[in-house]
Amino acid sequence: MTRDMDRQPSTYAFSLRNDISELQTLGRRLESIGEELSLSKRCLFELNLALDELFTNIISYGFEDGNEHRIEVTIRADERVLTVTIEDDGVAFNPLERQTPCLPHSIDDCRVGGLGIHLIRNLMDEVCYRRDGQQNILTLKKNIETISSNPTEIST
Amino acid sequence: MDITEEKQAGVHAFKLKGRLDSNTSLAFEQRLFESITDGTKNVIIDFKELDYISSAGLRVILKATKALKRENGKILLCAMQDYVKEVFEIAGFDAFLSIVPTLDDARRAL
Repeated sequence: MTRDMDRQPSTYAFSLRNDISELQTLGRRLESIGEELSLSKRCLFELNLALDELFTNIISYGFEDGNEHRIEVTIRADERVLTVTIEDDGVAFNPLERQTPCLPHSIDDCRVGGLGIHLIRNLMDEVCYRRDGQQNILTLKKNIETISSNPTEIST
Repeated sequence: MDITEEKQAGVHAFKLKGRLDSNTSLAFEQRLFESITDGTKNVIIDFKELDYISSAGLRVILKATKALKRENGKILLCAMQDYVKEVFEIAGFDAFLSIVPTLDDARRAL
């Protein structure tokens, strides 16, 4: 019997300040959640990368007033799926409206604009955006891969 | 992130340890471009102990690759964890970057 079968839904919530140093906090939070849920290294990495790109986007473009803001992150894990919501009170911004960049054929036509969003779309199984009042709400879904579902991986 | 540098027979190797993200990419970019400005033509970046990379890290690699190309130099990336390599593939960077399995492979190729 694997642990996934016994798993009860669990919810984790935390908030981050609009400061780039909070990326470390994000990484640490996700690491402990990953440990608790026995996420595979790849699954944890992909989750961290998607949230990193989103967070970096929000704090780079979302706030124009120079004040401190909070970005709220909620992660709900059921047996198979992680559902992550990220809420901020920055300017209305739907990252999904940005065009996916053309993948480069050579270094000369390689542009990095939109790369973060491109990564998020590819790493997550579902991405939804809505604007609710003054809030941007982005919901991400990712199928869970645990250490036990990927037996070739050795936990370190 | 820790960066260890090693110069040997005209090749400058950078060994990265930890996380290459928006917090750490600037320090790495500075070290890389100091070396390129000093005339380095051949660069190896060893990813063996790198646990994490974001688009900020990809940007630094792209910028250095473009700079070295202008100087007729070469850059090789080696020893990536499979999930790190996947990020390069999703970004399409594997189309023009040389990614090899080990540091020895990288040294042989330069």
